[in-house]
Amino acid sequence: MARPRRPARLTPFAALLPMALTAIVAYIGCALWTLRVSFTSSRTFASSQYVGLAQYERLFDNERWVLSLHNLALYGVLFIAACLVIGCLLAIFIDQNVTGEGVLRTIFLYPYAMSFVATGLVWQWMLTPGQGFPFDWIVDQDMVIYTVVIATVWQAAGLVMAMVLAGLRGVDPDLWKAARLDGIPAWRVYVSIVLPLLAPTLATVTLLLSTTVVKLFDAVVAMTQGGPGTASEVPAKFIMDHLFLRSNIGLASAGAMVMLAPVLAMLVPYAYARSRRVNR
Amino acid sequence: MKVARVGIYAFLFSAALCFLLPLYVMLVTSVKSMDEIRQGSLFALPLALTFEPWRQAWSAVCTGAACEGVRAGFWNSVAIAIPSTIIPILLGAVNGYALSFWKPRGANVLFAVLLAGAFIPLQVMIYPLVRLLAAGGIFGSLPGIVLVHTIFGMPLLTLLFRNYYAGVPHELFQAARIDGGGFWRIFLQVMLPMSTPILVVAAIMQLTGVWNDYILGLVFAGREHLPMTVQLNNVINTTTGTRLYNVNMAATILTALVPLALYFLSGRWFVRGIAAGAVKG
Amino acid sequence: MAHIRNAALATMTATMAMAMAMAMANSAIAAGPTAEVIHWWTSGGESAAVKQVAQAYRAAGGTWIDTAIAGGDQSRAVTVNRIVGGNPPTAAQFNTSKQFLDLIEQGMLNNVDDIAARERWDLSLPKPIADVIRVKGHYYAVPLNIHMQTWIWYSQAAFKKAGITKEPATMDEFFGALEQLKAAGIVPLAHGGQAWQETVLFSAILANMGGRDLYLSVIQARDQKAMHSDAFRKVLLAFKRMHNYVDAGAPGRNWNDATAMVIKGTAGFQVMGDWVKGEFTNAKQVAGKDYGCIAGLGPTVPYLMQGDVFVFPKTASANAVQAQKLLANVVTAPATQLVFSQLKGSIPVRMDVDTSRLDACAQKGMAIIKDRARQAGVTEVYLTPDQNGAIQDVLTAYWNTNMTIDKAQKNFAAALRN
Repeated sequence: MARPRRPARLTPFAALLPMALTAIVAYIGCALWTLRVSFTSSRTFASSQYVGLAQYERLFDNERWVLSLHNLALYGVLFIAACLVIGCLLAIFIDQNVTGEGVLRTIFLYPYAMSFVATGLVWQWMLTPGQGFPFDWIVDQDMVIYTVVIATVWQAAGLVMAMVLAGLRGVDPDLWKAARLDGIPAWRVYVSIVLPLLAPTLATVTLLLSTTVVKLFDAVVAMTQGGPGTASEVPAKFIMDHLFLRSNIGLASAGAMVMLAPVLAMLVPYAYARSRRVNR
Repeated sequence: MKVARVGIYAFLFSAALCFLLPLYVMLVTSVKSMDEIRQGSLFALPLALTFEPWRQAWSAVCTGAACEGVRAGFWNSVAIAIPSTIIPILLGAVNGYALSFWKPRGANVLFAVLLAGAFIPLQVMIYPLVRLLAAGGIFGSLPGIVLVHTIFGMPLLTLLFRNYYAGVPHELFQAARIDGGGFWRIFLQVMLPMSTPILVVAAIMQLTGVWNDYILGLVFAGREHLPMTVQLNNVINTTTGTRLYNVNMAATILTALVPLALYFLSGRWFVRGIAAGAVKG
Repeated sequence: MAHIRNAALATMTATMAMAMAMAMANSAIAAGPTAEVIHWWTSGGESAAVKQVAQAYRAAGGTWIDTAIAGGDQSRAVTVNRIVGGNPPTAAQFNTSKQFLDLIEQGMLNNVDDIAARERWDLSLPKPIADVIRVKGHYYAVPLNIHMQTWIWYSQAAFKKAGITKEPATMDEFFGALEQLKAAGIVPLAHGGQAWQETVLFSAILANMGGRDLYLSVIQARDQKAMHSDAFRKVLLAFKRMHNYVDAGAPGRNWNDATAMVIKGTAGFQVMGDWVKGEFTNAKQVAGKDYGCIAGLGPTVPYLMQGDVFVFPKTASANAVQAQKLLANVVTAPATQLVFSQLKGSIPVRMDVDTSRLDACAQKGMAIIKDRARQAGVTEVYLTPDQNGAIQDVLTAYWNTNMTIDKAQKNFAAALRN
């Protein structure tokens, strides 16, 4: 017979205890600690010398930080758009019953497996004038961020391709038959029917890509070290430099909180709305 | 129709060439001598093929007073990677399962917190985590690094499983409840066996992340368990000294062989896993 | 499914057992005071140098455990985190700078006053170095070597091709030589476009043009008036003028690739520290024959010193304290000092080593530092890491963009204001 319901009701909560602990102790705890430090004048260690909003003022007075935010916005839009477009195109083309699909898939996926520390160096070589291509974006103040886009899209597009390909494989084959019967050209089918069907897939992929954008660090360090000068600076690198190299964890914490704020502003209402919808 | 096929193959072929170019440069550089690299062009084939850089990278290159190459950290990387893949995946699966089917109160808020946490650069959390782990007595140990990988892997893995289970028909779950199944019974006997594809996907993503991780292993693993990536970084990133580019490239490829092998062997699983509805919104 | 799980568990247990066995085997070897040393000497030449120190330590009866982590900031970050986490190394490498000031202030380091007293550091060490390792009357670090950051290296072959017959001895002659090289189609100045290298170049110009007084008043005293002065303005303009003599591929270039240009003769000069000597030696070039070294354009130019030190984290373990003392003794011994500097390109801290065993440029350096008036430190000896970083930002922006001289001067002063 059915077990009594009451003890079972606690089990989901117990099972989610690791998640709760991680979310509260690790993530919220560290975020609160970082928030506290951002109000102090901490150097290598957390001090308790409170200076109010001075670190934030210093942050936005800093040209390098403001430039890094501009770079991130520009980079983010280009990177996500390029990954989605290239990933979708690759997936759609591979889905056309091509031979050697396994090999092709591996070729497009292998960059994801390699640590960017060395592949970034290779990209730097290839894009340095006099070495690889006759292409001088990497030494140009205004164009250098695009080189970072190119290299990171190379790394991530394969992952997008794999996920979109899987989504395509889940599309009902009867759909194709019906479309062909109706005489709709293939590209129309994709644009008007298939892509909307893949919207949830694309939304998740965009979320994953966004986390990569915000945390962009390895690629910039490996390819340009934030240069020439400070032209390809990004917030994660600014924060890292001040955390370790410049022993100024107060300023770094302020930067981290500034980066976290928009994310929270988007996710908390989203979660609230979802839980309202679900509990109805 | 024929033209379209040719067009498809042409596109894929040229895209493949673009993707393979950096690998070509790495392979070609790794079999040249340093003189040839200094004098010659990046894309030129080697005049005098040599596998010495590979031998050096694996077992002989000096990083500090030890001259053992990247081989030194290989078993450490394995010892870290296996528990750091299995435990976060199991936890992610349980989380996703609970979030999708049982929906306890407040769970979605916690999930949102985790997702927000996925946006925080790791390095920001290092210092407070050091204090936390030191307070728990596990700083600089294998359990410590596994815990840290679990903390950082949890958001993405929970998302993956939650979306996967969201695609599973709810009737299946209802039927199991009616049959008298409790939380764990349903998970272990119904959901987990069904999750093989997504388990493989999650394993590949988490293993790649853990295997290529550098900074967390460096800080939290303790001296006896330093992973391969530390030696790799030592070989590549020396700031004040001669850089052996050929050894660098060989060392990078050697370090990447494990995830690469996994991709090659289970690429088919990878795609099929997500095909089973993993990435619905 | 079950057998996959079992296989995975079996593999996991096996690898963990193997890892544990290896760890136990490592600790079984230990005998004598065991010193774990965190450092960032990971390149070929540096590894050879630190191996000598390790060998000397073993010869003295100790056990050396090497923890090499490439990248100074990462290595120091690990050191700090390990100290905070309660698992400190026996010794850790730092530079002669304010990087470890916070560690001292938090009481996390053991002092080395006994070595200081025995070696008479208050008399024998160059003042800039002594000042940075002595805080509130106690010594907290053992210096290993002295590098000079702003040597001017040149290729004899390039000189010959451009028709330059003697080393420049003033700033004007230096610019003249650069012009001659440019006219001969050789890259006048081999430069690596990274922020720290631009700061090295700037320090060289400030030292050579401004001399000791301007250098110290700007960098050590952070005198705002000096930073707004006309003399400092001229220094910044000369710095920017150097940009005309640098090739287009400079941005992002590593310092050793710039040295390779001088070695090949495709570039004439490089302004860089004496660690470049390893590159010349590897290319089988000889000081005085294939390449030359100028410490300063004139006999009063400050000799900008930086060096490596070991610090000793506080620890309760008596074995560790013993290891620290032994290590400090080994590192300050004349034989260790000499061989370490030979392999690393620096000069020893001790004045009483046999200088005939050092190369020509190192001998020049040892002669110069005897003159107390020429002893000075690099920027990070006097500035906190944050201040040093702030001027780096200003200098690299000025170098790479069309920033006006007024803005550059203003920003530089603002960077050092607090």
